[in-house]
Amino acid sequence: MGSNSTKRRGDVAAKVVFAASAAFSVFAVFAIVFYIIYESIPALSEIGVFNFIFGTVWAPTKEFLAIPDRFGVLPMIVGTICVSLGAVLIGGTMGVFSAICLKAFCPKKLKGPLVAVINFLAGIPSIVYGFFGLVVIVPALMEIFSVASGKGVLASSIILGMMILPTVTSMTKDALDAVPSSYYEGALALGATPQQATFKVTVPAAKSGIITGVVLGMGRAVGETMAVMVVAGNVAAFPTGLFSNIRTLTINMVIEMNYATGLHRQALIATGSVLLVIVLALNLGIGIARRPKKYREKKRAAKLVAEPQPSAPPAFVKSGRGCTVLKYLSIVCVALVALALLTLVIFILVKGLPHIDLQFLFGESGNEGMTLRPAFVTTGLLILIALAIALPIGICAAIYLAEYSKRNSRMVRVIRLFTETLSGMPSIIFGFFGMLLFCEFMQMRTSILAGGITLSLMILPTVIRSTEESLLSVDNSLREASLALGAGKLRTTLRVVLPSALSGIITAIILSIGRIVGESAALIYTAGAVPYEPSGVMDAGSSFAVMMWLFASEGLYIDYAYATAAVLLIVVALINVAVWLVKHRLAVKAFGSSGKRAERKTAKIKEAK
Amino acid sequence: MKQTTQTVFDFSGEIAVKVQSLNLHYNSFHALKDINCEMRRNAITALIGPSGCGKSTLLKTLNRMNDLVEGCKIEGTVCVGGVNIYDKRTDVSLLRKNMGMVFQRPNPFPMSIYDNIAYGPRTFGVRKKSDLGEIVENSLKAANLWDELKDQLHKSALALSGGQQQRLCIARALAIKPEILLMDEPTSALDPISTGKIEELCEKLKEELTVVIVTHNMQQAARISDDTAFFLLGELIEFGNTEKIFASPEKEQTLNYISGRFG
Ligand SMILES: Nc1ncnc2c1ncn2[C@@H]1O[C@H](COP(=O)(O)OP(=O)(O)O)[C@@H](O)[C@H]1O
Ligand SMILES: [Mg+2]
Repeated sequence: MGSNSTKRRGDVAAKVVFAASAAFSVFAVFAIVFYIIYESIPALSEIGVFNFIFGTVWAPTKEFLAIPDRFGVLPMIVGTICVSLGAVLIGGTMGVFSAICLKAFCPKKLKGPLVAVINFLAGIPSIVYGFFGLVVIVPALMEIFSVASGKGVLASSIILGMMILPTVTSMTKDALDAVPSSYYEGALALGATPQQATFKVTVPAAKSGIITGVVLGMGRAVGETMAVMVVAGNVAAFPTGLFSNIRTLTINMVIEMNYATGLHRQALIATGSVLLVIVLALNLGIGIARRPKKYREKKRAAKLVAEPQPSAPPAFVKSGRGCTVLKYLSIVCVALVALALLTLVIFILVKGLPHIDLQFLFGESGNEGMTLRPAFVTTGLLILIALAIALPIGICAAIYLAEYSKRNSRMVRVIRLFTETLSGMPSIIFGFFGMLLFCEFMQMRTSILAGGITLSLMILPTVIRSTEESLLSVDNSLREASLALGAGKLRTTLRVVLPSALSGIITAIILSIGRIVGESAALIYTAGAVPYEPSGVMDAGSSFAVMMWLFASEGLYIDYAYATAAVLLIVVALINVAVWLVKHRLAVKAFGSSGKRAERKTAKIKEAK
Repeated sequence: MKQTTQTVFDFSGEIAVKVQSLNLHYNSFHALKDINCEMRRNAITALIGPSGCGKSTLLKTLNRMNDLVEGCKIEGTVCVGGVNIYDKRTDVSLLRKNMGMVFQRPNPFPMSIYDNIAYGPRTFGVRKKSDLGEIVENSLKAANLWDELKDQLHKSALALSGGQQQRLCIARALAIKPEILLMDEPTSALDPISTGKIEELCEKLKEELTVVIVTHNMQQAARISDDTAFFLLGELIEFGNTEKIFASPEKEQTLNYISGRFG
């Protein structure tokens, strides 16, 4: 009887497939890094690495041929660092304080809504932030500081700050939640007030997690493209003040790519390499900073609580007022965040909703009026392609991580690190990679197919993480029950564990759809930026966010831009609600429906009999 | 790659399970110390002892569920139906087909009642609707559940009460026609009425198969089992006829335990 050994061979084959899928993230990161660097070599060898990085003049077009070192990206590097630091200063600080407020000082009833606000902010597409900056923040700055142009360093920092705030807040909150509550209680027992216990014990104990969150946020700011592009002013010069127009590395890549040729084009790709190196360095920094420190800090915090000096109370009493000030500061931060979201949503809905009608949403797009129909078609196709690729790979990878590998083995840690690295890569890097590899090398040209494949790489980490999380939360006794019935590992995983993890997979799908609907930088040079309707996946097409960018960058269509922004916000809201519903309601409902399906099946069988 | 020997279980003998000088370590922790015992066919053997003494561990070595535990080392032999199950060539899947297992907490799969029971047979290749229907009916009848559930086979198993869920788990285990049923404190999470139903069921089941039951409840062991094994700190202190063990134990520790002085 060979069935036994064939079964085993099937098991082995499945394991190989799962392992290969898990290794795919590692492969993807290497592929992106090496391909971008490889494509940068011509420019770097022609210009010279030193001249390129430390050159102060960027004059890439033909008429400047006479200038000697005309490909220098230093102004862009400085510009990037400048606005990223600004973003950390504004968004990072507010994010940390918001998290502290949510953890320690927020009434229970407000916690849910405020977390929803943070999640909502996280879901808003870059282009909407940029647009909000352009129509609200920039004019406001002009008014407040009475300057001629509100664009530049400050406006970019504010917008980027808003964008990184959710990342910082949620990471900080996780870090604070991970601090044993005994520290806090211990401090209270020593006579500290809640705010003293929070700021003197809990926050220091969570320091490494908080720093990780801030650095991660900084990484996002460095890689952000569309939002800054709208408010930075885009002049390739060194910043000299808050209202200096500047250009970041990402902006440089995106605004010149559509007309650059020859060395200019190669230099833009090399700009991508510089960006990549900065982002990877930040990621690596996080990876290194994460582990060893944690232990030291925990010990120190424990000491703070456990061994008060003989003259104990003064340590707390002295700093009493400072902590109270910090407490109110954190409350103000949360209020400001909520206010910012409210302003953004109300402003865009008020300006946008009046222009939404059936004709604009679904009508034929033509010369007499542009509509969103092409965006519906394109975005739908992009979602299908990206999910068709990312779901199988991501689910298999998650199965490998959760079911087939030893928890926290070195291999799992490596795969996780690379998955996080992949999720931290800037959109525009994906865009360039897709353009170079899929559109050009594989000759897909600018097409929805190329865009969809590019997006699949971007959503892969979300799929893996969400699925893995829910696989790990499946009760182990179900696995035991299946194995005890003689089922193999593969059958147990596919038939019992995976269906129980359905909610995680659905969450992954919803989050991926949100990401795709809002994506622009990765799509402009892969799927294209054209206003007309595609007739197939080999055509170019614009997703919602790209369409909005088209509307916004042509002054004529500003109402359309508002309307599209409103549509995008509604989608973000729906996505958030859907994720919430899946998390809180699905377990019962999904089962009910499959039960019903089975019921219908037996009814049929009975009839047949 | 043909396997030369194939696992053949033979349950016609008087002894269904024979454990010989079994030692088990979880990493450096010695969880079972030189265990020797036999489980008679068509009898109920109860494993009793204070919690942490290794009852569940022994039960899991009988169907090799300990294979899943990292750092678990096993020495000695365990013979089931005449086969040394820790032999490399043993087909673990086939072993488990012969050893039904019921866990402490009811753990039905999140599927319909029907699919829960059909899961095992489907694993072993039963596909035909009529065959599956028959198996489901027989298993539910064997677990005294048929009359309660015959009209709602396609309801979620999770919608059942705790006691029903546990009997469903027994039915699920019976569906692959095991020779031996391993039960790990099957009633500890249930109310007295459900407990009574399951005890009744055990008595009925032993006509057909061999039952090994872990229990925390001394009265339960005394009520339903034929043989009793008393464990303490990984050692098998006393093993033998239930009536004799409860009436006149040989060891003082046994006496202390059954008279409720510790545990
Ligand atoms: N997977 C495991 N890893 C390490 N030690 C374990 C494991 N499972 C059980 N043990 C230990 O083995 C001993 C016996 O456990 P168990 O067989 O579950 O006891 P019982 O079922 O009698 O209460 C306990 O001390 C327990 O801590
Ligand atoms: Mg136990």
